[in-house]
Amino acid sequence: MARSDARRRAAIGLTIAAGVAALLGWLLLYWAADAAQQSAAERAARQRAAAFASIVERAGPAGNRIRAAVAAMGGGDPSVERVRVVLLLGRQLVASTAPEDTGARAAPRALEMPEKPIYDVAQELRAAVQTNREEGSPRKDEIHTVHLPSGGIAVTAPLQRGEDVVGMVQLEMAPQGHAHRPALLQAVAAWLLPVALFLLLSIPLGARPVPLLITAAALLVGAVVAQTGLAASHLGWDSRRTIEQSAQQLRELGERASRALAGLPAAEPEPGSEPGSEQPAAGFPELPSFDTSLGVPAESEAAAAPLDPVAWDVDRFRRPLGLLTRDGTPAPEALASAQGKAVRFGRRAAASTGALSLTLLLLVAMGTAEAAAGAVVRHRVAYLYVLPALLGMTLLVFFPFVYGITLSFTDSNLYNTNQSLGETWIGLKNYAEVLSGFHLVQKTDSGWSFDYGSFYWTLFFTIVWTVTNVAIGVSVGLVLALVLNTKGLALRPVYRVLLILPWAVPTYITALTWRGMFHQQFGVINQVLQIFGAPAISWYDKPLTSYLTALATNGWLSFPFMMVVSLGALQSIPAELYEAARVDGASRWDQFRAITLPSLKPALVPAVILSVVWTFNQFNVIYLVTAGEPGGATEILITKAYKIAFEKYRYGYAAAYSTVIFAILLAYGTLQNRLSRATEEIA
Amino acid sequence: MSGRKRNGQPSHAGIHVFLAAFTLLTVYPLLWVLAIAFSGEQSLAIASLPRNPGALDRLRAVVPWPHQWSFANFVSVVRDQPFATWLWNSAVVAVGTTVLGVFLACTAGYAFSRFRFPGRRAGLMSFLVSQMFPGTLMLIPLYIIIVQWLGLGSTRTGLVLAYTTTAIPFCVWMLKGYFDTIPRELEEAALMDGASPARIFWQIVLPLSKPAVAVTALFSFMTGWNEFILAATFMDKEALYTAPVGLRFFVGGFSQQWGYFAAGSVIVSIPVVVLFLFVQKYLVSGLTAGAVKG
Repeated sequence: MARSDARRRAAIGLTIAAGVAALLGWLLLYWAADAAQQSAAERAARQRAAAFASIVERAGPAGNRIRAAVAAMGGGDPSVERVRVVLLLGRQLVASTAPEDTGARAAPRALEMPEKPIYDVAQELRAAVQTNREEGSPRKDEIHTVHLPSGGIAVTAPLQRGEDVVGMVQLEMAPQGHAHRPALLQAVAAWLLPVALFLLLSIPLGARPVPLLITAAALLVGAVVAQTGLAASHLGWDSRRTIEQSAQQLRELGERASRALAGLPAAEPEPGSEPGSEQPAAGFPELPSFDTSLGVPAESEAAAAPLDPVAWDVDRFRRPLGLLTRDGTPAPEALASAQGKAVRFGRRAAASTGALSLTLLLLVAMGTAEAAAGAVVRHRVAYLYVLPALLGMTLLVFFPFVYGITLSFTDSNLYNTNQSLGETWIGLKNYAEVLSGFHLVQKTDSGWSFDYGSFYWTLFFTIVWTVTNVAIGVSVGLVLALVLNTKGLALRPVYRVLLILPWAVPTYITALTWRGMFHQQFGVINQVLQIFGAPAISWYDKPLTSYLTALATNGWLSFPFMMVVSLGALQSIPAELYEAARVDGASRWDQFRAITLPSLKPALVPAVILSVVWTFNQFNVIYLVTAGEPGGATEILITKAYKIAFEKYRYGYAAAYSTVIFAILLAYGTLQNRLSRATEEIA
Repeated sequence: MSGRKRNGQPSHAGIHVFLAAFTLLTVYPLLWVLAIAFSGEQSLAIASLPRNPGALDRLRAVVPWPHQWSFANFVSVVRDQPFATWLWNSAVVAVGTTVLGVFLACTAGYAFSRFRFPGRRAGLMSFLVSQMFPGTLMLIPLYIIIVQWLGLGSTRTGLVLAYTTTAIPFCVWMLKGYFDTIPRELEEAALMDGASPARIFWQIVLPLSKPAVAVTALFSFMTGWNEFILAATFMDKEALYTAPVGLRFFVGGFSQQWGYFAAGSVIVSIPVVVLFLFVQKYLVSGLTAGAVKG
């Protein structure tokens, strides 16, 4: 019975796993082909935009020459739907092949108010080019690419005069279809072949579970490798072909560009610049008339230099892609790397689908999946109740957590947020950097000096901070609760309400208020000190006094929680217990130790655990009261991590720092859990 | 017997002195804020000191009683600054967080308390552990998910979702603890009477758990009302700022408008404090679930 079960389960497991693997492999291939086609289309669009920009720069400054060049260039090119040439100065639409820019709205004319987005793109490009030049590294796109709802691509390249961006060329490319769907037959074969083979092989194998399982796993792995291998080689040849096609297109583009430049008419004055004929543009206030030419003499050096189509093959920062040799043929190493990339993709796809489907196979074949499905059905009401909260937690807590940890292995920072995680992967370097700050104390001429930037100083300070705060919170809260619990105390509700207030007030308000009260000149605390003849203290100049301000603030806002918890527990102790103890002659101290403390424990232990975690991560108080002064001495781990992320913009390093914080808290939680369980067993 | 009143009750004079002093110390920062809010000025000091202040002058500057009472700060913070809009945003976000948070925490807490199912312990532990996730680790991924993937940047919905999931773990544990104290016999009896599990939950368990639900609601509301960092990160349109983000303007950076800050703080604190007082009779029993008198 159990033996035929093993065979049935292995067969079902293989069917499911191979099906999932085949489907996944097919989807991955489709997705990769589509991504490749997209990037090829974007690359072609960028090439054309660069080509247009280059001939417009040469044809200018005269508007009629620009229009003639654009018409000649765009004429025989079915992939370019419309072209617009815009100059920033005078917000001029110099040339346009768009259907809406005909008749009264034909170029040349000034851009109108509703066309502001077009003008803004030109301004953005100018800013981007300038920023990248000043920073010396590409960060902002110098060629804008927008995917249109129609499926086409709008691509915009800047027009330059020397180093200045004076305008832009905007191209709208005709929509391209999606990639060809990869053959379904392959996927079906990758699914059904291993199943059929397994059914055949399982006859001689009989019903022994282990050989059955090994056979199924081997067949599955074979199918996955074959499928992804085929897909990868497909993809590799596809990308080779794309590069070759693109080289061909670029050559044609170059030829068309030289033809367009050759047949240009003589320069004519712009119709708009003739006095009297100028139409005031609606919406924009009229500016005094500017010289709206590009300012490049037609016979300048740049214009005389031969066209270089290979230079048009650029990325979005207008850096040469380097896929073509000088004469416009595909570079052999580019072709090789395209194929290498496809092979790597195949390997990754094989590894991920293989791992996933193998897990599935094992789960089903070993009966785990069946048991799990049974459990879900049996406990469906319970799962239904938990599901909404769990979904939300998964999406917005657990997943971000995992993502954050992944981020900690990368060099992600403000300047490379566009890159994928794989591109910025640096392994454990961040952790090494976090944990390597051993030079905590250094001897200098003026005595010992601490390196407050070191992780270990901050850790030490955080622990001191947490322990003192929780100790103060618990002791003050407990004392107040004991006092408030006095039998027959008048005004108890009033005291309780007033003492709860610090908890009710938002933390950030509390923190800013205390920061104000510790102000050196106007703060009330220094006023009180001076009443008693003490000198005013500059609280944030020394680590100790700075720490005291944060301690006072946090002590103030954390004792009410402990007080309320203790009070609740105290009130739930039956009075008879104390009466019985008194009858037995127990002293007050004995009563406290034997009755009060044990009854407090169940309420206080979770409260203390929570409180430790809260204080350890008490961001607002440190960030807003001491702000780490002086020199980062009173920074706790969490505020330090925040500053690394949002003042130094080192996201990956901040993530590693935060992960270390989490590891510390987790270690504490586990230890605490163990301890409290151990004490429970003793008690 | 000198320390006892005639009915045999001990006199509490000493206790009252201690409590009164401590209470005064506790409410002093709040009185200080009130004094500045009602002073009508932007200064950090309650009273301006003469050139060579004596102890009395300094005492005057410590007593939280403004020179003249004025509503100027309140009027102009609401009228001249977009503070009213920010308050409204905070209210919408906090109420949304409360409704969603309480619903999710009630259902999950009930399941964790009443049903024994595979994954229960792991689920409870993962909720507890998630309390230890450092906010700085979550901030950037959260931004990517809410703003870039869900397209909920600069929307109140995005904040409600983020706050709800922040509040859920505490609320679930809290409610689970409380549900544990409700005798199962009640539910068994209802089952015998033919009530469905859903009906038992809504009509028997929830009404009995009002204190804990009240605390959960309060906690969720405060999470939404008081949160600052996420709101500052997600809301980049000024019209969608929440009150905490707005308040930071007054005393952040180089601006030192302590009067506006104090007035705004008073306005922001009133709803939370009122709510607190409103549910405070449930507060103790709710928080120390498990130790409630039968």
